[in-house]
Amino acid sequence: MSFPFRTPRRAVVSAAGAVAAVVLLAGCSAGGTGSEENAGEPVSGGNLVYATGDAEPTCLDPHVGGNYPQALAASQYLEPLVSKNDDGEIIPWLAGEWQESEDGLTWTFTLREGVQFTDGTPLNAEAVKANIAHVQDPETASSTGYLALQKIESAEAVDDLTLKLNLKAPDSALLESFSMPWVAIQSPKALERSQEENCAAPVGTGPFIVEDWVKQDSITMVRNENYNSPPADAAHEGPAYLESITWKFIPESATRYAALQAGEVHVIDNAQPDTIAAAENNDVIKHLDAPRPGASNRLELNTSKAPFNDPLVREAFVRAVNVNDGVSSLFFGTAERSYSPLSSVEPLGYSDESLFGYDPAEANRLLDEAGWTERDAEGYRVKDGERLSLEFPVSTNQSIPAEQSLFEQLQATAKEAGFEIKLNLLDLSSWYGALAENDYNLVSAPYTKVGPDVLRILFHSDSTVPAPSGYFANLSQVKLDELDELLTKGSETSDPADRAALYEEAQKIVLEGYYILPLYDQQNHFLYRSEVSGLRALPTVSTPAFYDVWLNS
Amino acid sequence: MSIFSNKRNHQDPVLAGTSGAAGTPDVAATPGTPGAPGTMGTLGPTRSLRRVSGLRAVELGAAAVALFLVLAACFPTLLAPFDPLAINPADSFQGPSSKHWFGTDESGRDIYSRVIHGARPSLLIGAAATAIGVGLALVLGTLAGLGGRWLDFGVGRILEVLFALPGLLLALVFIALAGPGITTSVVAVGLSTAPGYARIIRGQISQVRSSAMVEAAVVLGRRPAQVLFRHILPNALSPVFVLGTLGLGQAVVWASSLSFLGLGAPPPAAEWGAMLAAGRTYLGTAWWMTFFPGVAIVLTAASSTVLGRALQRRVAGR
Repeated sequence: MSFPFRTPRRAVVSAAGAVAAVVLLAGCSAGGTGSEENAGEPVSGGNLVYATGDAEPTCLDPHVGGNYPQALAASQYLEPLVSKNDDGEIIPWLAGEWQESEDGLTWTFTLREGVQFTDGTPLNAEAVKANIAHVQDPETASSTGYLALQKIESAEAVDDLTLKLNLKAPDSALLESFSMPWVAIQSPKALERSQEENCAAPVGTGPFIVEDWVKQDSITMVRNENYNSPPADAAHEGPAYLESITWKFIPESATRYAALQAGEVHVIDNAQPDTIAAAENNDVIKHLDAPRPGASNRLELNTSKAPFNDPLVREAFVRAVNVNDGVSSLFFGTAERSYSPLSSVEPLGYSDESLFGYDPAEANRLLDEAGWTERDAEGYRVKDGERLSLEFPVSTNQSIPAEQSLFEQLQATAKEAGFEIKLNLLDLSSWYGALAENDYNLVSAPYTKVGPDVLRILFHSDSTVPAPSGYFANLSQVKLDELDELLTKGSETSDPADRAALYEEAQKIVLEGYYILPLYDQQNHFLYRSEVSGLRALPTVSTPAFYDVWLNS
Repeated sequence: MSIFSNKRNHQDPVLAGTSGAAGTPDVAATPGTPGAPGTMGTLGPTRSLRRVSGLRAVELGAAAVALFLVLAACFPTLLAPFDPLAINPADSFQGPSSKHWFGTDESGRDIYSRVIHGARPSLLIGAAATAIGVGLALVLGTLAGLGGRWLDFGVGRILEVLFALPGLLLALVFIALAGPGITTSVVAVGLSTAPGYARIIRGQISQVRSSAMVEAAVVLGRRPAQVLFRHILPNALSPVFVLGTLGLGQAVVWASSLSFLGLGAPPPAAEWGAMLAAGRTYLGTAWWMTFFPGVAIVLTAASSTVLGRALQRRVAGR
């Protein structure tokens, strides 16, 4: 596999190259992550109904907070500066070219010409500058975008379409960061409105426009008739084929699937493994698997307090739980076990299976060694009168039922070694609350980011300090100077080989210290009806793109 | 003393028979016939003894189900072949078979064993919630029925406000404030059923209070406490047992609803509502995961209703 990320030091990606990519990809758009049978000519018109099982965003502006549900929706009406193609290379989107200075401290972006926000405001350097300021403003309460743009010290508009960014330190992940919907570019005029107004209907350059949002029901998006800014790997130009999208919230997975079967909706996300397996034998329903980039889905072991401040107990826990049997029985072959902190779509991921074998005898030995020698009447281990008990808050919005069942199975196997796991099923806001109060020993917190720099977000000691949204991403709360240094260096190193070596070293430390228990990729399965053609997931954060989609009657 | 004054409280017609709407089972509760002082205390028992032979088939069936449930709740290990919490991923999603009568769930746990073990929490929650509801209602109803016009007015208005909210909503509000868990769901269900019971008890008490027997006791110079405990309460309370039996089934349904919503017993507890919730995800492929816990809930509610009705007929001496 080719190295996925051409480091853009002094590299100039020309607009001509972009056009070539469009032509090339138009011919084989069905190849990569997209659907296979885009039979016939695209048909314009129609309303597509999308049913999401992710939490309903509290704000449609992904700068605010910044979670995956926001990215899913925002990918339809906002666009970032750059994108990524199926080979993992950064390609132009709203920015046509870019250049990094020799010392890595200055970046120059040239924006695409003639692009307008849907409120008529032109896309220019001042607009992008206003967006960076918006993400960095503590008032915005951004988390994901804020962390991604952390190194930008100042921005200046050199001329109408040229933007210069001055960095505090070189940032090898800057382009990857700019490809994410959490830093997508919005109309500066719209950003001047109150946060409440902007949250209800953000204004971007995307192929669709947020028309209406009925809370706890649906978002209505209509086609942007003046659209002219598709990414370099899109299959066509001009406005989208679909006239509108109804973006429905159907949190209950069986209901969502039933609606798809009945033809009431065209596409669903967060599909349950059993329904994916059933769809394999079904001509009407198709499956799109698009694992999210960034971190793998993993349990974080909170090292900031007992009992996981003891590495022996951490290893004992990892050895005590039987993940593999659960994954194979609950996921019907749709999820593969991971042994890496990074998603399998991240080329720099490093795996070490040997550290995570299920070994109850070893778990018991380690716990004895750690001094948890007694057991109480219920069979749980006890030390100094304290039970070996683990608080495990689970966000029901972020875990599909199969995952919650897996956690129950981990609970059952951990009990044999003497661990008590308390599963607390919480809604998203209570779950954030539990994390903020450090009221957890175990937690599963998906984190999506393009590129290996997600390791810095998750395991650098700086990330134990909450972002303006109140969320801190280093949930294992690991604080190691050695690790910090590797991650900082990695984020400043552009040389591919050096960068890979640094991140491998960092991942070794994370895995060998038993700060996490990797489970599988962040599952991102879409099911759609066969009349939907041209559906693909953006290779950046795997959100579905409806720009090239049309409905066969 | 005012509470024992013989002045009839004309403000309350017998509410008992009409107050079934908001969460309390509909029951044509009638007090032990006032005005027959001699037989008062023993009326209920003797009548039901005489009618035991008249049990209908449905009632026998309901009694059998209830007996089985109580047995399951007290001695689950006698009836359940497997450990309800023991997982076995290799055996997951098995349909009903001779080994697993009700099939297995997503973690390979035996559903029959889980349904049996689920009887205890469900019945306990149901019984405890009913006890709380009836207990609270007794206090409120007694205050209202005996406490004089203003107290009666006050309690009456509070009950009306509570009636204005659907019972389950009241329970949800309480859980939102107190946090989910078994104890909170017991209290929540108890609190939300209390107003219905309280209204009936109040009606009973004010009716008995104005009966000739109580009048006689007061005239004879009995102490207030004696009048309350020997004459008023025994006669006002006989319908409460009927109500409680009828209400038990409903409390079980409510408690299961709360668990179904994820507000009751935390995982991995074998609780019927939680099992329903887990199974609904797989409704299309593994119907047995929801069917059997659902049947258990229906049977519990139905048998307690049938038994309650039977008891009611006997107490009422229809």
